[in-house]
Amino acid sequence: MDQLKMIGRELAMGSQGGFGQSKEFLDLIKSIGETRSKAEEDRIVLREIETLKTRLGNPNTPKFKLKEYLVRLLYVEMLGHDASFGYIYAVKMTHDENLLFKRTGYLAVTLFLNEDHDLIILIVNTIQKDLRSDNYLVVCAALNAACRLINEETIPAVLPQVVELLGHHKEAVRKKAVMALYRFHQRAPGSVSHLVSNFRKRLCDNDPGVMGATLCPLFDLITIDVNSYKDLVISFVNILKQVAERRLPRSYDYRHMPAPFIQIKLLKILGLLGNGDKKASEHMYTIVGDIMRKFDSTSNIGNAVLYECICCVSSIHPNPKLLETAADAISKFLKSDSHNLRYLGIDALGRLTKINPEIAEQHQLAVIDCLEDLDDTLKRKTFELLYKMTKSSNVEVIVNCMVDYMININDNHFKTEIASRCVELAEQFAPSNQWFIQTMNKVFEHAGDLVNAKVAHNLMRLIAEGFGEDDNIVDSQLRSSAVESYTRIIGEPILPSAFLQVICWVLGEYGTADGKYSASYISGKLCDVAEALSTDEIVKAYAVTALGKIYSFEIAAGRKVNLLPECESLIEELLASHSTDLQQRAYELRALIGLDAHVVANLMPMDASCEDIEIDKGLSFLDGYIQQAIENGAQPYVSESERLGMSNISNFKSQEQHEFLTHSLRFEAYELPKPSMTPQVPPVLASPTELFPVSVPYYHTEVNYSTTPVPSISSAGSSELQLRLDGVQKKWGHPSYFSPTSSTLNSDAAKIQNGSTKPDSVGSANSEARHVSYDSRKPQVEISPEKQKLAASLFGGASKSDRRQSSSSQKVPKNNSHAAYKSHVEKTATSDTGAQKTSQPPSDLLDLGETTGTSILPSLDPFKQLEGVLDQTQDPTSLNTGGFSGTDAPDIMSLYVDTSLRDQGNSTANLLSTVNDSSSLLSGFSDATNRTGHGGNTVAQLTQKLSEGPNHKDSLEKDATVRQMGVTPSGQNPNLFKDLLG
Amino acid sequence: MIHFVLLISRQGKVRLTKWYSPYSQKERTKVIRELSGTILSRGPKLCNFVEWRGYKVVYKRYASLYFCMCIDQDDNELEVLEIIHHFVEILDRYFGSVCELDLIFNFHKAYYILDEILIAGELQESSKKTVARLIAAQDSLVEQAKEQAGTISNMIAQATK
Repeated sequence: MDQLKMIGRELAMGSQGGFGQSKEFLDLIKSIGETRSKAEEDRIVLREIETLKTRLGNPNTPKFKLKEYLVRLLYVEMLGHDASFGYIYAVKMTHDENLLFKRTGYLAVTLFLNEDHDLIILIVNTIQKDLRSDNYLVVCAALNAACRLINEETIPAVLPQVVELLGHHKEAVRKKAVMALYRFHQRAPGSVSHLVSNFRKRLCDNDPGVMGATLCPLFDLITIDVNSYKDLVISFVNILKQVAERRLPRSYDYRHMPAPFIQIKLLKILGLLGNGDKKASEHMYTIVGDIMRKFDSTSNIGNAVLYECICCVSSIHPNPKLLETAADAISKFLKSDSHNLRYLGIDALGRLTKINPEIAEQHQLAVIDCLEDLDDTLKRKTFELLYKMTKSSNVEVIVNCMVDYMININDNHFKTEIASRCVELAEQFAPSNQWFIQTMNKVFEHAGDLVNAKVAHNLMRLIAEGFGEDDNIVDSQLRSSAVESYTRIIGEPILPSAFLQVICWVLGEYGTADGKYSASYISGKLCDVAEALSTDEIVKAYAVTALGKIYSFEIAAGRKVNLLPECESLIEELLASHSTDLQQRAYELRALIGLDAHVVANLMPMDASCEDIEIDKGLSFLDGYIQQAIENGAQPYVSESERLGMSNISNFKSQEQHEFLTHSLRFEAYELPKPSMTPQVPPVLASPTELFPVSVPYYHTEVNYSTTPVPSISSAGSSELQLRLDGVQKKWGHPSYFSPTSSTLNSDAAKIQNGSTKPDSVGSANSEARHVSYDSRKPQVEISPEKQKLAASLFGGASKSDRRQSSSSQKVPKNNSHAAYKSHVEKTATSDTGAQKTSQPPSDLLDLGETTGTSILPSLDPFKQLEGVLDQTQDPTSLNTGGFSGTDAPDIMSLYVDTSLRDQGNSTANLLSTVNDSSSLLSGFSDATNRTGHGGNTVAQLTQKLSEGPNHKDSLEKDATVRQMGVTPSGQNPNLFKDLLG
Repeated sequence: MIHFVLLISRQGKVRLTKWYSPYSQKERTKVIRELSGTILSRGPKLCNFVEWRGYKVVYKRYASLYFCMCIDQDDNELEVLEIIHHFVEILDRYFGSVCELDLIFNFHKAYYILDEILIAGELQESSKKTVARLIAAQDSLVEQAKEQAGTISNMIAQATK
């Protein structure tokens, strides 16, 4: 009875709720919207969770209520609370026959569950069933879910159906099937590798949407393996050409650009295919050049395409003409007021400097402006550019800039990145030892704990091995300057652990090497470090070992060793340390000190950290001992793999049959039980294997079965009575033992090929000369002297020598390639015209025959004309800036929203009237369009468009509903009612 | 590839989240907190991009709502900015002058629309018309289903079972 009452209430409320939701739900959202603190919100949400728990758990809850509860659960989880108790109800709802519930169920599971969730296995069957549905919308919903939820294990269950759907008659289904297959390829490339050819086929799909979707998987495939797709270059170029020539249906236009998203994807693919391939690149030059010439600089999307063109040009085999166009485009980007465009300009500059380092110089001041900009994003991008253009001449300035910036930021991720870049640059280009050590000190001091431990080890190795190949003097200078600065720094109160490790190690190895410091001085410092850092065991260990080294060098040199009192006490303390590692080190140190000079010299040779230490891995020196033990009756050693293999050995035969069956889950229905006469062979073994088209390499094959005779536990007779555990254990049981890949312990430390790092002497005269030349070029702009100086030190310097070289060497090829390019253009031009004549008929890759007819009339775009009329009423200055500054380029929609917005509170009514009074406008239009002969239907279209578009009446109505519900614009939420596109 | 889509209000309230790469609930909360902190505090004239944990987050503000998408290092930022706009335009067409309240009360519908635009972290359809048609087809089918489920006899059957 209660139920019926509730239903009655629901029915009565049906029209009341507004937004098509129940009152309860609206109240929830409203109350959360009005909370003033996180705690209050949490309280409401927790109460809601309790309600949902009881209601969802109630078996009598009607389905349509369940659906609402699920949506509410989604809301709760979106706010960051745990809703896992309700996941199972979402899964249950996907099983429903009614699409209304099924769709909600799918939405909920795709939002709730990750690919590795345990509940997925319960949905696979439903997805399988829905993929076979007659209703294409159900299939679409299932494909959406498959993209999100199907994991490596469950791919085989749905794969055959998804492949079948690639040929579905609805384009929406084909498109989603392509994307699902793409997703499977991302998850487990092996499982769909035999289906890759399907993507090529779908590229020729009649529907541009399907073709566009196919570009995603193809892009990934080409990234992995360029060479097997070189044959598609011409197809891609053709498609791009057709897209650029507006052969696609009008509905793919975006801001008057023909299918820009597809263009961008194609340009990306071409960039990959043309990378380092002259022949392939030559096919692309014409079309990329065309697109760059025609681009529309007023819209964001136009610039996006242009930027992608630059990326493509910088990736394919260089073409001087295109590079020139690209450079022009970059300078436009850099001069722009929009931060977005400047950001892209800097990025593009970084790409182009790889090919032609001179380009950056033309924009030096723009780059410096970006470097000093307040926008952090822009700044970081500029640092990336600087990193790319570092040379031995400007390394000092750049690294110093980077270090200064690094010190001032809090973002650990970026700090780490910039620190490792500094280290890398310093290692590669350091002009002097002193500078190198100083820079490293700074980096480690401020980001020591963030940088990769490898960087610290690198530094130690670098100091040990030195820069020069054979020059020992330079190396020892490097070491002594390191030691000197470290003895100074070690007194600082707080240093990162990684840095202290380096300091301890270097002081231990080289502290006394040049005789400048006495052993007692260094050991005193080391003891201080160990004392100060009572909690950091790693640093302590480094310090103790360093002490050991110092003392043993002393002993080996024949000097008498007096242990410092603090050192004594340190050793005493560590002998009783909780850390066994420290204890061992302390004992070793004590033992070392007691030995005589000859032994110590052998144990701890001077400066031998780079020598190889030979290790007898087979422990052959123990052979005699083992032999003796075995003779005395000991058991021989049985390796772990043999011990594991033992249990399987009795069932060795069935093993192989099991191997390919046990590793993956089965999704086909169970076979009907057959009365079998041979119980020894379980029916599973006999089942056909075609269901598993992909055989994943089975890891148990590594187990070595041909073992030495071992005492077999299971005799043949008893094996039948035992549980059959063979094969079961493979997935979840004890992992089989892999024989470790024989790693050679000979540390083949790769020597850093620094080459000579002689600093190109940066003469001040040189940079001044650059100033003058720059000033004469641009006398009208006033530039602060600091900026100029920075510019000169960044871009000047070595460029003089570099430049002379490059300009002389480049001149000749430039002319050559120009000529080559010209002839190429002519060739392609002629071939183009030839091709065009023949290419209209079926050879078109995209069969868009019908649309070509309409696309011949682009100049008659009624919207453009309408815009033209409306634009005149707008303030011309606002239009000028509109293109770049994040607001949208003038278009119909924004105009509408403008008008409806203004209508709500202010006075620019004349604009409104122009729109509302559309009859007069339209009559003007019909004139215009009639003249061109397409009158009737375009006008009809236009009126339709006008009426269907957003409307301020709508928003007023909405406003009214919301007020009815009790949500009123308050100081807290004045914007809730504002149109997003306003 | 787009790793996730976030809609955050100016007050830092989450309006919609969609994750295309696996993130645990804990990570999600952390990501949202971190990003809303960075993005909401940025000035109006700055880049619409933020570098974050080796990814890039492209965001754009519409009225009081921030639309954010997280992409890979080598993706085209401007393109993603336009994908956001594409999404907003479709929302606008669907709701009719869409405002934040529409998305608060009908967030599940926004999800359905998003599912037709993005799939597996990629743009699946760049034609507004095609998307609108699909959504309309779904809506009409759902209406039918609703009627079917909403008939009194059906409800009574359900309630008394």
